[in-house]
Amino acid sequence: MSTLDESSVLGRIRETRLGQVIFPTTERGRKRRRIVALALPFFILATFGAFIPLAKMFRISVSEEFLYAAQGWTIEPYRQLFASIAAFIPIIGTELSSTIAGGTEAVDDVYGATIWNSLWFSAITTVSSVILGIALAHGLEKYELPRKDLLITLISFPISLPGIVAAFMMIVLFGQTGFLTNFFAVLTGAEPLNIQLTGQPSGTVLAITGLFFGYLYSMIPRATLLLRGTYAEVNTDAEEAARALGATPMQTFRYVTLPQIRPGIVGACILTFRTALAIFGTVLVLKSLSVVTFRFDQLVKVGYELNIASALAGVFFIFTVLFTFLSLRYTSAEVAQ
Amino acid sequence: MSTPDSDSNSNNTQAITGTVPEREPGQLGRLSAIYGRKLITVLIFVTVGFLIGPVLITFVASFFQNWTGILPSGGFTVQNWAQALGVGAESIGAQRGLGGFWTFVAPDILFILQLPGIADITVSFPFDIRIPTPIPVALGFSVLLALLGVVINLLVGVPIAYAVTRYDFPGRRLMNTFAVLPIVPGIILGIAFLKTYPGLPSVIALVLGYSLLKIPYMVLAVQSSFESMDLRSMEESARSLGASWTTTFLRVIIPGAKQGIISGSIICWTLAAAEFNFSYVVYSSGPRPFSLFLFENISNNPFLRAAAAISIYFVIVAAVTALLNYVGENGFSVGGVR
Repeated sequence: MSTLDESSVLGRIRETRLGQVIFPTTERGRKRRRIVALALPFFILATFGAFIPLAKMFRISVSEEFLYAAQGWTIEPYRQLFASIAAFIPIIGTELSSTIAGGTEAVDDVYGATIWNSLWFSAITTVSSVILGIALAHGLEKYELPRKDLLITLISFPISLPGIVAAFMMIVLFGQTGFLTNFFAVLTGAEPLNIQLTGQPSGTVLAITGLFFGYLYSMIPRATLLLRGTYAEVNTDAEEAARALGATPMQTFRYVTLPQIRPGIVGACILTFRTALAIFGTVLVLKSLSVVTFRFDQLVKVGYELNIASALAGVFFIFTVLFTFLSLRYTSAEVAQ
Repeated sequence: MSTPDSDSNSNNTQAITGTVPEREPGQLGRLSAIYGRKLITVLIFVTVGFLIGPVLITFVASFFQNWTGILPSGGFTVQNWAQALGVGAESIGAQRGLGGFWTFVAPDILFILQLPGIADITVSFPFDIRIPTPIPVALGFSVLLALLGVVINLLVGVPIAYAVTRYDFPGRRLMNTFAVLPIVPGIILGIAFLKTYPGLPSVIALVLGYSLLKIPYMVLAVQSSFESMDLRSMEESARSLGASWTTTFLRVIIPGAKQGIISGSIICWTLAAAEFNFSYVVYSSGPRPFSLFLFENISNNPFLRAAAAISIYFVIVAAVTALLNYVGENGFSVGGVR
C-alpha cells in the first residue's frame, strides 16, 4: 500500500519540469541532468560566497540602521556619493551636486576625487604595462634570446607575489635606503631624502611615481603573459612575405602584425585595467594616492561608515561588471585562454 | 622593379587596410631596422632586472647586519631570519613572528576559600601561561588553509570546466566568461563577508574566500587540458564499452586531464597562500595567514627583518615555481584580480 503511495508521489514529481531534469527519460534529458550536475557546485559556491554577501552589502547601502541589523530604507548614502562625485566635475559640478544633495552648503568632493584617482591612475598604468607587454612579448616570441625559458619564468614570477610584497620591492629599489635611490644620489649628489620615491607625502609627484612603478611591478607580468598568448597565434607566413617584399621591420609590425594582435591587445587592456582597479595591498603599504580600494579600508576600519563604503563598493562592482561585459561585447577583444 | 612589384604589393595590403604603406622607409623606419631589435632586447633585460633585481637584493640583504648606502654591509648574519621566524629567546621578535603565543593571563586572585573559624585563604596563581606556537605548526596551518581552498577549487572548478568545454547549451558562453573572470575584488568580497557571516570563524571564511577568488585560475588551467583532448570520442568509446557516465568521468576524463589539474592546483595554492586583500579584511582570530604575517613585518618591523620575512616567502614561492616547471608548464597561464 505504502509503496504504491510513494510511487504515485514520485510519479507526480516526475511530471513537473524540475522532475524531468532530475529523473530524465530521454538521452537528451540525461545530458541536461549532467550539465546541471556539473555546474551545480560552482553555482552553490558563487551563491553563498558571492551573491548573498553582495546582496547583503547592497541592503546595507540602502538601510538607515546597519550596526546590528540592516533596518529601514534610504538612498542617503547614494545621494551623498553621487553628490560628491558631481561636486568633483568642474564648472557645472557645484550646482549639480547641490541639486543632488538637496542642500545649500558645499559638498565635499572626496569620493569624486578618489574615483577619479582610481580611473586615471589605472588607465595610465594599464596603457604603460600593455605597451611594455607588447614589446616584451614581441621580443620573446620573435627573437633568438639566450635562456628564453628562464627569462619567461623570471618575468612571470611576480604574478605570485601579493601587492604588499610588490610595495616592499619598491621600497627596496626607491626607498630612502633603496638601491636605485642611493645609486642616483651618488651619481647626482642629491640627498636620498629628496629623491626617494616611497615615504613621500601622499599625492606628491615623487610619491605617485613610486606607486606607478609599484603598479607596473604587478601588471607587467600579467600583460606580458596575456600578450604572449596572442603572439603565439600570429601567422608568421604573412610577416615573412612582407619582409621579403621589402617592408621594414616597423612597417611589417604596423601593417601585418598589429592588425592580427589587435583583439588580443584590447583583451589584455581590459583584464589589466580590472587588475589595476582592484590593487589594494600596494597602496596600503606605500600610501601614495587615495584610490577607491584604499578608501574602502579607511571607511570600514577607521570611520566605520559602512553604508557609504557599501554604496561605493556597489558602484565599483557594477562599474567593473558593466565595463567588462560591454567592452568584451562591443570591441573586437579576445581574452586569450 | 617598382611597377610589377607595387601591383602585387597593393593587392596584398588591401586585404588588411585601405592604404598602401610608403615604399621608401622613412628615417624612423631605418632607425628601427638598425636599432629596434637591440632596443627591445635591452628592454627585456631591463624589465627582468626591474622585476627580479629587488627580489635578489631583498634576499641578499636579509643576511646582513645593516644597510645604508648602495650595498648592504656589516657582515653575514642569520639573526634577521631567526627574528622573523620567531626562533630564539627574544620575545618581541617571537611575538611578531608567524607563530606567536597562545596566552593565558592568570587573574590576580583565583578564588578565596572561606572556612568557618580560620582566616580566609586566598588562592592565587601568579604565573601567566604563554605557550609558544612552534613555527612548523603555524606555517603548516597557513599551508593547510591554502590547500583546503585548492580542494574546494578542484571540486567546483573541474566539473564546470568540463561542462563548458564538452557540452553545448544555451548560456554556455556567458557561463564561461563568468567562471573565467574573477567575480569581485578581494577587498569588496571581504567587507561583504564580514557583514553577512559575522559569526563565521576566520578559518572557514578564509577558505571560502580563497576558493572563490582563485577559481578562475583552476578553470583556465583545467580547460586548457580538456581542450587538447578529444572529449567527445573519449566519452563515447568509454560509454560504448559499457562504462556508466559517472565511471567515464571519474576514471577516463579526469585522469586524462591530470596535467592541467596539477598545474591548476599549484597555481591556486600559490595565489591563495599569498592572498592579502581578502585576508586583511576578514581575518579576526585564530592562527594568522602567511600574508598577514608579511604585512605585519613590512609595516612594523625594521627593514632587514622584513626583508628576511619576505625572503622566507620567496623561498616557498621559488620551490613551488620549480615544482610547477617540473610538472611541465612554463609560467602561469593568465593574470587576474588580486
